[in-house]
Amino acid sequence: MLVETAGLTKVFGEVRAVDDLTVKIPDGAIGLVGPNGAGKTTFLRLLLSLLRPTAGTAKVLGRDIEDGLAVRERIGYMPEHDCLIPDMTGVGLVSYMGRVSGLDRDTAMSRSHDVLQFVGVEEERYRKVAEYSTGMKQKVKLAQAMVHDPQLYIFDEPTTGLDPRGRSEMLDLVGTIAKSPGRNVILSSHLLPDVETICKYIVILDGGHQIAAGELSQLLSGGTDRLRIDVRGDRDAFARLLKDAGFDADAGPSGLHVSRKPGLEAAVFETAKSLGAEVRYMGKEIRSLEELFLELVARTEKPGA
Amino acid sequence: MNGVVEAVGVSKWYGEVLGLNAFTASFGKGITGLVGPNGAGKSTLFKLLIGQLHSDQGKITLLGENPWNNVPLKRRLGYCPEQNQLYGWLTGQQFVETLLRLDGMPAAESRKEATAALKVVGLSSAAHRPTRGYSRGMRQRAKLAQALAHHPEILILDEPLSGADPAGRVHILRTISEFAKDGGHVLMSTHVLYEIERVTNNIVLIHNGKAIASGNIHAIRALIDTHPHAVRIETSKPRQLAQALARMEHLVSFEFPAADTLLVRTRKPDAFYRELPQIVSDTKLDVRGLESPDDSLDAVFRYLVG
Amino acid sequence: MSITLPTYSRLEIPLLGRRQRVWAIIATGLRKELRRPAAIVVMALGAAFTTITSIAILFIATIIPSGQAPNLTFFAGPASNFFVLFFVSLMASVIGAGLIADDLQSMAFTLYLSRPITQLDYLLAKAAILAPLVAMVTILPLLLAALVAAFLGFFSWTIALEAMGISIVVGGLLTLFYTAITLFLSSLSRRKGIAGAGVFAVNFGLTIPAEVLTIVIGNRSILYLSPWDNYVAVATAAFGASSTGIDWAVALAILLGVTVLAALVTYVRMKAVEVITG
Repeated sequence: MLVETAGLTKVFGEVRAVDDLTVKIPDGAIGLVGPNGAGKTTFLRLLLSLLRPTAGTAKVLGRDIEDGLAVRERIGYMPEHDCLIPDMTGVGLVSYMGRVSGLDRDTAMSRSHDVLQFVGVEEERYRKVAEYSTGMKQKVKLAQAMVHDPQLYIFDEPTTGLDPRGRSEMLDLVGTIAKSPGRNVILSSHLLPDVETICKYIVILDGGHQIAAGELSQLLSGGTDRLRIDVRGDRDAFARLLKDAGFDADAGPSGLHVSRKPGLEAAVFETAKSLGAEVRYMGKEIRSLEELFLELVARTEKPGA
Repeated sequence: MNGVVEAVGVSKWYGEVLGLNAFTASFGKGITGLVGPNGAGKSTLFKLLIGQLHSDQGKITLLGENPWNNVPLKRRLGYCPEQNQLYGWLTGQQFVETLLRLDGMPAAESRKEATAALKVVGLSSAAHRPTRGYSRGMRQRAKLAQALAHHPEILILDEPLSGADPAGRVHILRTISEFAKDGGHVLMSTHVLYEIERVTNNIVLIHNGKAIASGNIHAIRALIDTHPHAVRIETSKPRQLAQALARMEHLVSFEFPAADTLLVRTRKPDAFYRELPQIVSDTKLDVRGLESPDDSLDAVFRYLVG
Repeated sequence: MSITLPTYSRLEIPLLGRRQRVWAIIATGLRKELRRPAAIVVMALGAAFTTITSIAILFIATIIPSGQAPNLTFFAGPASNFFVLFFVSLMASVIGAGLIADDLQSMAFTLYLSRPITQLDYLLAKAAILAPLVAMVTILPLLLAALVAAFLGFFSWTIALEAMGISIVVGGLLTLFYTAITLFLSSLSRRKGIAGAGVFAVNFGLTIPAEVLTIVIGNRSILYLSPWDNYVAVATAAFGASSTGIDWAVALAILLGVTVLAALVTYVRMKAVEVITG
């Protein structure tokens, strides 16, 4: 088990940021999602043993979070906000953080160059962090989380503020780490498609509670066996013709949705031919993490509203 | 030439730093997404459009008018800056109301409009809390509310989604779509490309201070002929299907990445999609799935900006 | 033949203990200060100026005929050298004020806390950066003055050595006090300017009014308000000189009490800071 909690609770004043949370999170690439104020950041800080729980216990990598030093030796944390020391160079900062984690000076320097190379900070590593672009700063933040080779990486919104190129580079790096044997990732993000590409297991928090958890593939399956078809041409006529042919079709904003029956695919192309329409996409209708998320959050909100 | 935004050779420099460089484009009906790397010039363009900056060179118009020193035009636009700092001591309601008063609206009316605008963005329950306690997503919505409240013709939104949680994103995108459905124009920039794609196909791609592409995303994709368009077809007989398709003249290559998959590359995607149904239904080959991995804004961005 | 591409690389050796981690913060912090022009100027000027004036005070005391043979009490003069107060304030505000405030401003504090160290380790390391630098104006000048005086034959080596021992203790007290106060002020705000101004306020805002009021009202117990006068009382008593008018034991208790209190409050604040920035 990567993380195991029992009745974990953290109260700030009157706010129960994490409320009687009992979870078992397996090893691997974990996605942590939830609306603002769901308690994600508090939960992560509890795991890092930066906050003391009001009640309950938690184990990270088999170690009780009471033992903060042992836990933090095994975690690399990439905070959401800016956190770099502006008047240090990239390589200086990363090796410094390595030393504060317990690396000796030479190893820290060697690893600092290695991890900066890995994240793609080239000769800029000798310049001061204050001069870096947003993308470069994010990479240094990632590098400092890697320098002591932790078993668990905690990423809090790693793609915030990055442009498309920066985002895809950052996601590639996070994905590479997540695929490394023996290395685990907890990715907290509002960008659910990012979580979908990286993570195998998802924990959804809301109001300090876990409202769903499980393998991504299982959470997202369970939808009906339907086909989504993206048609260019007369969409309504397309749906009508399919209905006439005995298929249960309806036209939505993202295309046609049709229940799968034998002969459906052939009928689709037949219809396209007769209408002179184009089929741009045809595939199994998969529920997105976002749909699941909104559904679950809406369900938990109802009793309170 | 009657786009909502018309720019001809617009340049703006900050000392030696490039803002826009001979930017020429015409766009803006309905929803338009502005995308580009950091520092490409998106925010500069927005600030020129709202008259906060004066271009060094060239001519730019918004709704047919020159935005510089143009107060009446400002009543017709709503702007969300990228910065997330609000006046923390004001409540959401006061914040929107105050800005409406600046617009010249009477007190009673601005109270009513502010309440309505906050309702539209889904902030009613938090309207009377000081904004310093707002999350980033709530701040985004408060900014959107003040941009909407005076019923402008055009919304100019700089990164309106950044920092918002999934529910907040959906809400903001829905608000934007509805505004456009009612006849309004929206210019928005974002780094999250798939979210632009959910609300519009019209984009302007900005790079190094220039508009390097603008228009329909699929049309732009089709123009990039250095990267043939890939289509992945799921079928039980990929080789037979390839044989049947081979008579299309615009095909570049076939690949068989898996036992039940055929990957086709074509120079003319439109022609390909037009001819495909005919071939499939004539040959009675079983095609179970069809997708194009690189017909997306993400791919366009990658190919053009690198 | 082999190809090695930059890739995710593994660390093969175990981590060093907590002492080395804290030492890394101290060493990096000290090195940074020793490379900063502003810090170097203040340190060099401070050390030089206080040393020279301390020697001068000692020298003047020995040549003025006082009817006494040179003894330990002569050292109370350099120990209460007013330049020490000035430079200790300058040093605390130039070097010390940013030690924690800068980390709060850049939010690097989160980075430190995500490492396997405790808040206490962090504070001790920061104190260990500031203390030796403060000691350059609080202890070093007294030691050098005693050394020079003994070399020139003004004092016997026994007296000089004894004076050096006492100097380390009273100078150490002053060092601890200013280290604790400065770190406390530095932890209060993200802006180091405020902490720097605070150090001056504590020193001159209390010392000068207290001394003026003492003269005006004639009640010397007002001097307990001034950290500097408390220190001078302790130092003169330690060197066996005649009292400055306030009780050295009370003065010592005040200095130690404030030091401990400042350290404690800083510690509690650091524990809470993570919650605030979250």
